[in-house]
Amino acid sequence: MDKPKVGIYGLTGCAGDQLVILNCEDELLDLVGSLDIKSFSMAASGADDQCQLDIAFVEGTVVQPDEEKLLKDIRQRAKLLVAIGTCAVWGGVTAMKNEVDPKKFIEQVYGPAGKVFEVIPPQPLSSFVKVDLSLPGCPIEKEQLLRGVASLLHGDLPKLPNYAVCTECKMAEYPCILVEKGLPCLGPITVAGCGARCPSYGLTCNGCRGPVDDINVASEINILKEKGFTWVDIQNRLRTFAAPAPPLNLQTLEEAKNA
Amino acid sequence: MHKSIVINRVPRVEGHGGITVNMKDGKVSQVNMDIYEGPRFFESLVVGKTYDQVTPILMRICAICSAVHTVTSLMAVENALGIKVSHQTRLLRDLLIQGGNIESHALHVFCLALPDFLNYPSVVDMARDHAQEVCTGLEIKKLGNTIQEVIGGRAVHPVNAVIGGFGKLPAPEELLRLKEQLTKGLEQSWAAVELIAQLEIPDFCISPNIYAALLPNGSGFSLLGEEIILSTGEKRNIRQYQQICQEKVVPHSHAKQSWCNDKPFMVGALARVALNGDKLVGEAKKARDKLGLNSPSKNILENNVAQALELIYSMERSLEIIDELLDTGIKPEPSAPVKIRAGSGVGAAEAPRGTLYHSYSFDEEGRLTKADVITPTAQNLANIEKDLRQAVENLMDEPTESLKRKLEMVVRAYDPCISCSVHLLELKR
Repeated sequence: MDKPKVGIYGLTGCAGDQLVILNCEDELLDLVGSLDIKSFSMAASGADDQCQLDIAFVEGTVVQPDEEKLLKDIRQRAKLLVAIGTCAVWGGVTAMKNEVDPKKFIEQVYGPAGKVFEVIPPQPLSSFVKVDLSLPGCPIEKEQLLRGVASLLHGDLPKLPNYAVCTECKMAEYPCILVEKGLPCLGPITVAGCGARCPSYGLTCNGCRGPVDDINVASEINILKEKGFTWVDIQNRLRTFAAPAPPLNLQTLEEAKNA
Repeated sequence: MHKSIVINRVPRVEGHGGITVNMKDGKVSQVNMDIYEGPRFFESLVVGKTYDQVTPILMRICAICSAVHTVTSLMAVENALGIKVSHQTRLLRDLLIQGGNIESHALHVFCLALPDFLNYPSVVDMARDHAQEVCTGLEIKKLGNTIQEVIGGRAVHPVNAVIGGFGKLPAPEELLRLKEQLTKGLEQSWAAVELIAQLEIPDFCISPNIYAALLPNGSGFSLLGEEIILSTGEKRNIRQYQQICQEKVVPHSHAKQSWCNDKPFMVGALARVALNGDKLVGEAKKARDKLGLNSPSKNILENNVAQALELIYSMERSLEIIDELLDTGIKPEPSAPVKIRAGSGVGAAEAPRGTLYHSYSFDEEGRLTKADVITPTAQNLANIEKDLRQAVENLMDEPTESLKRKLEMVVRAYDPCISCSVHLLELKR
């Protein structure tokens, strides 16, 4: 069997998910040995950006018209498109103030002397193209990535957890940050896969992996209100990493608050 | 004769940047380092957030430097709110950023720059002939990540370093394991130094630089300090960082450029070694002599050599910190208490690529009213353009493809972190 042709792309973002790939030090040489990597600009010169691809991994968000074009071009050339990281899956931290007109930011940043940029509010890749597989996380988890690649090499999609960080935390028997410490933990509404990393350090889950499928956001809001957090702070926390996700949009949250 | 040279995307750097050189009448008329990474408006995103939400958001400016962004951000919050942290916390934070320095330098020296010096398009191609060196590089890089995992809870975007201290303190066994790995890592780093000492560093970009770095707090070399020093003899407290980094908007870049008194300056490993190299001791001092970095370099390509030297320094410093922690024993102390008040504060640290500043103001409810972050790459952009101009002028007769490759080398020597540089906002409310 020919090695699958793979492209690894970074749109606007911190490059953390590509760095997780480079951080697979023990597996890196095997990994690049079992794939035919056609493009990985962060790591190699001489990218082939015309060829057909079996798998494209895309990190980051579209914030400029050129990136929308690039993403659509990648989609056309790739049999499978994998969104890696919370930016690609849900928009990430930079999408948290999408309700504010980006023109206002541009003027604040660069002033009238600055060049006029065309900026699109950061959105999940799925707003522009079909996404075949989403690996969330800020950054992605190494093990989930490697398992994902292994499944794809066998012509299959990996099975990802569809339960909450809270479940992983309970299984590991960490003390409950939300109930026992009274801190604003988002474990109950955040999708698992990190092994409840932050609660394992006695810290709140900040929701960096984005929402779980069967999210009960009304119940999370109620608990946070009971703990004395203001509505503004509750919204800020809920909308840090995945504000464009439908269950976290401002109107849905208002309805959940009043439910 | 070249008309103009355009490199759309410099590969093997973090983020999206290009080079444009325009020529007129056989002379270089304009050199631009084009930054077209999308703007992300980070400083506006945190306005209105409570003091404890700021660091987890702003560390996401950059993945490779997320540990030092985290520590710098925490120091800025603590300075604004008047929070004093313990000596143990300061040691652990120092260790965390040494881990980041090791990881970042190993990645850059072995995977991104060494292929340049040995003439390969990528580290994968280099691995075919130099498997041993590549494996060593990856092992050193992994050790940097392991330190960040043990102390910070994650290699990218650490979770465990928080305001006032740490979520969970490392166990002595974990520190002992790190010590063992660092002892081996120090030997391996010497292999890197030996390899790099043999390289002939090209001399097509010789040009004097103004260097800037933090003055170490103590007597030794350090990545932490309260004062900024320049090779011009100027000195400022970190609270006056804006007098050193005078920012300009330039039309070809989404990142603002920093100038000091209308002159470009350089921050990073080469600047630190030039300004504070006399404070190196032990193995790092031996490496400095071996690598010929005893006097300030005028060749930016030697920044990679200075990074190799800092691998030795960071390993030694990490061992020193671990020994101190093991000697005194890890105290199970809680994080320093927070009293919310209005205030402003600056944090600064030497990131792998140079001095990093975070500056915040909070209102009486502890909500952020203003944030300013100046990254090393933003400070270096003007100096990169200066060096690119020098290189083009020296290489006028070079065939275009070879010239392009050399210009890319100049950019890569700075190890630019372009995501980092594009975040910029000075928000006034």
